[in-house]
Amino acid sequence: MHAKEFKIRWGMVIDVDKCTGCGACMVACQVENNIAPVTPEVDAWAGVAYDASNKLRTLNWLTVYEINNKKAFPEYEVAYMPRPCMQCASPACVPVCPVVATDKNEEGGIVSQIYPRCIGCRYCMAACPYHARYFNWFDPTWPAGMAKALSPSTSTRPRGVVEKCNFCHTRFQQAKDKARQEGGDPNSLADGAYNTACAEVCPSGAILFGDLNNPAHKVHALAHSKHSFRLLERLGLGPQVYYYSKREWVHRLGDNYLPNEKKA
Amino acid sequence: MGLDRRAFIKFIVGGAAGTLFTPIPWKLADDSSIWSQNWSWIPRLKSGAVTADATYSKLCSAGCAVKVKKVGGLAFGVKGNADNALSQGGVCPLCANGAQMLRSPARVAGPLKKDGSAFKAISWDEAEALLADKLKGLKGQSGKVAAISGDGSGTANEVLSGFLAGLGSSAYYYMPSDQTTMAKAWNGIMGGSGQIGYDLEGADLVLCIGADIMDAFGPTVRNQKAIAAKRPIEGDKTVTLLYAGPVRTRTAAVADTWVPVSPDGGAAFALGLANLLIKSGKGASLGGFGEFAELAAKFGPDAVEKAAGVKTEALMTVAKALLMAKNPVVVVGSGSGQGGGVALAAAGVALNALLGSLTVLPEFPKAVSHAPDRSGLLAKDVVAWLADVDAGKAPTPEVLFVYEANPAYALPQAAAMAKTLDKAGLLVSFSTYMDETAALADLILPAPHPFERLDDAQSPYGLGKATYLLATAVAAPEKDCKSTPDFILGLAGKLGVDLGFGAFEDVLKAKVQAIGADWDALAAGGAFVSDRKGSAQADLGASALAKAAAAPKAQGTLLAALDHLNIGTGALATPPHALLTVRDTELYGKDLFVQMCAATAKSLGVSEGAKVKLTAGGSEITARVALNEGVMTGVVAAPLGLGRTAWDPFTKGKGDNVSKILAVSAEPGTGYSVWAGSAVSVAKM
Repeated sequence: MHAKEFKIRWGMVIDVDKCTGCGACMVACQVENNIAPVTPEVDAWAGVAYDASNKLRTLNWLTVYEINNKKAFPEYEVAYMPRPCMQCASPACVPVCPVVATDKNEEGGIVSQIYPRCIGCRYCMAACPYHARYFNWFDPTWPAGMAKALSPSTSTRPRGVVEKCNFCHTRFQQAKDKARQEGGDPNSLADGAYNTACAEVCPSGAILFGDLNNPAHKVHALAHSKHSFRLLERLGLGPQVYYYSKREWVHRLGDNYLPNEKKA
Repeated sequence: MGLDRRAFIKFIVGGAAGTLFTPIPWKLADDSSIWSQNWSWIPRLKSGAVTADATYSKLCSAGCAVKVKKVGGLAFGVKGNADNALSQGGVCPLCANGAQMLRSPARVAGPLKKDGSAFKAISWDEAEALLADKLKGLKGQSGKVAAISGDGSGTANEVLSGFLAGLGSSAYYYMPSDQTTMAKAWNGIMGGSGQIGYDLEGADLVLCIGADIMDAFGPTVRNQKAIAAKRPIEGDKTVTLLYAGPVRTRTAAVADTWVPVSPDGGAAFALGLANLLIKSGKGASLGGFGEFAELAAKFGPDAVEKAAGVKTEALMTVAKALLMAKNPVVVVGSGSGQGGGVALAAAGVALNALLGSLTVLPEFPKAVSHAPDRSGLLAKDVVAWLADVDAGKAPTPEVLFVYEANPAYALPQAAAMAKTLDKAGLLVSFSTYMDETAALADLILPAPHPFERLDDAQSPYGLGKATYLLATAVAAPEKDCKSTPDFILGLAGKLGVDLGFGAFEDVLKAKVQAIGADWDALAAGGAFVSDRKGSAQADLGASALAKAAAAPKAQGTLLAALDHLNIGTGALATPPHALLTVRDTELYGKDLFVQMCAATAKSLGVSEGAKVKLTAGGSEITARVALNEGVMTGVVAAPLGLGRTAWDPFTKGKGDNVSKILAVSAEPGTGYSVWAGSAVSVAKM
């Protein structure tokens, strides 16, 4: 499929060698995007208790995976990989959507998700190789009183629709509005003028966000580094999220390499 | 004119076609679309002006400088305060939940008094009268009124400890932490003054012995920022990070080198390094250096390998790196942030002294003149005191105040400690949340959430410079709470104890004035950072250190308890939004997971997922096995912070409380209570 070209491509470079896996980004993401914590509930018939401690009903746009080099003590190494939506150049999720609830046509290259249009068929979830999409099996419920003040950035979603990371899209709109108000060019935002909640909160500075096409943005050069790679790059979806690591084994885990296969 | 079949079909088809030229079908489709999107049964967003107010969040142990984001005046989120030198825009995984914890289901709604096995609501006036009546008869009786504080940096401690002093009691204790262990070493055994600091910002090599600086030690956000600033993604690294400990912790995960050291071998490893440094010509100007050098000489590479499991080559490599570095800093602590030995803390001071990196922060002047010195209080041993109370060697307190702490859950051998706490005549908890200690208490006087109150922090332990921060009330009170120091000041007034102030705000204003800071700048979210250094005069305390270091090595499987900030702290259970950040290898459903490498599992006869019983310190917990090759052979790693019995449905009954099996022993030479690296028995169930 021919990838649509954009003058601006918002993207991330995540330094896997810096990430400590603390989880602050996951919390910030939930708060910013009004993702309700899973309300504990017991299914007496099935004998299962549902809550976030068994991950059966969790819904998180950003997940921090723990990976390791599969070696025994003491050669064992570990790394953490935050995984947002990859905002692919040729997203597998978009062409399969029967109602165009997800699309990639806005300048910036962010893959949209229009909740009211979604019919909940979940074809997009099946198509996404990154498991970045989540389905609302239930209506969101916050503990009593916690929903008194939700983030004004993201509308709440009902059961029956798919949702995913959108690079905190409201912040993009706000950054453009601010640029217009200040007489600047909304299509040429300065590095840092638009930032996602996860990148903003990260204590170790492992998540960097910016325009991959803009040489003035830090991510532009980093994405072209020999230490950068993308997840499942050989699928050809062209993710706009890059990972950065100087460790060979981390690179190899980024795609399905055979044991003796050389990395391209 | 009749209606025949043809006319009828023409009418229907014409009508249908005609309808398409009217707005009716489009309007109906639009309406059905709108109404199907009008999800009235799910929460609505609040509209209004979006603002952000700076404050200092003390939800995590060290605190984070944050900006509380509000919509229409109601707090909904936090972001880092990039202008504050401490956090520089970063936020820890606990403080990121700050706004949500304002409306946590575990919050205590107002003052509560135990009535049988339940609580009944009372007014603040009733609570004050009840306490005043009880305390009146205890004035002047030593040890009858006591307090345990979990706030290592707040001036509120001056109010509480000054109040106790006014009642004639010196039984003021801090919850155990790396800070209290270091205070015992530096201010107690070594006779130093001020507070030990760590200049990570100026370091070109940071060696962490046990201290998980990215997750559990000190101000983790500042630690991460300080290291990250010197390790740009592209370009040369200007700091090397080494981690020595039994588990590949989060610090080890991003360190340049991980040196596996047994959980009880930190002091031997540090003394082994000191020996090699001294042999290379390094010296220290602290008292008792000759005696210390003699002690260190006993920790040659072979002795270190035996005591700490560190191979000679690895020890030499670390020593060489320390010698080659221009500004090396050694940070010592325990992976759980508590229970480490005084020997390790003292050896850490000695190492920094040998390397010329010893940093001492001066204490800020006190605001409450009657209050005892903070360093002296920090050096006290709450675990030993409670053991004495239990054994009848110390008076049982008639009134026991618990401030910003949860000792019934978080102290080692937690179940036994909770029983001792329950012996107090009147257990008073100032907890914001219904924690385990509050559930046990006779009286709960809820403190406001950190965003709802005036508070401060003076040099949170782990910083490299004396720093003062102010927290202001930036959110409207959600519950009927009262600032604890204000309540104590009111109580002091009723009992005729003169603390010199009537309101906590005046205490803080006096404090700010005494240290020469600007109130408005602090209230706007700034940090007061002083370049003043404290006195580095002290004795290396080799005689006590020698006895401690000669302690027999624990036998069998050793327990490495780990403190993960995202799971919570002793005083704060996992927030609802943080529960999904807890890994399946730590908690799955109601099962706690303990980690061990395959070799350890094989020797214990267990396999991945096996249910095991861990026994130590007269208590036991159940868990499942998760294989993790990042854990040293012969060691079982277990996360703290789970297995809550109070709080809310999000955390209650999830996993087991590892604090229950932290077996306490008295460190030879210092007598200090230690439990890091204690032995544990693992049995398959």
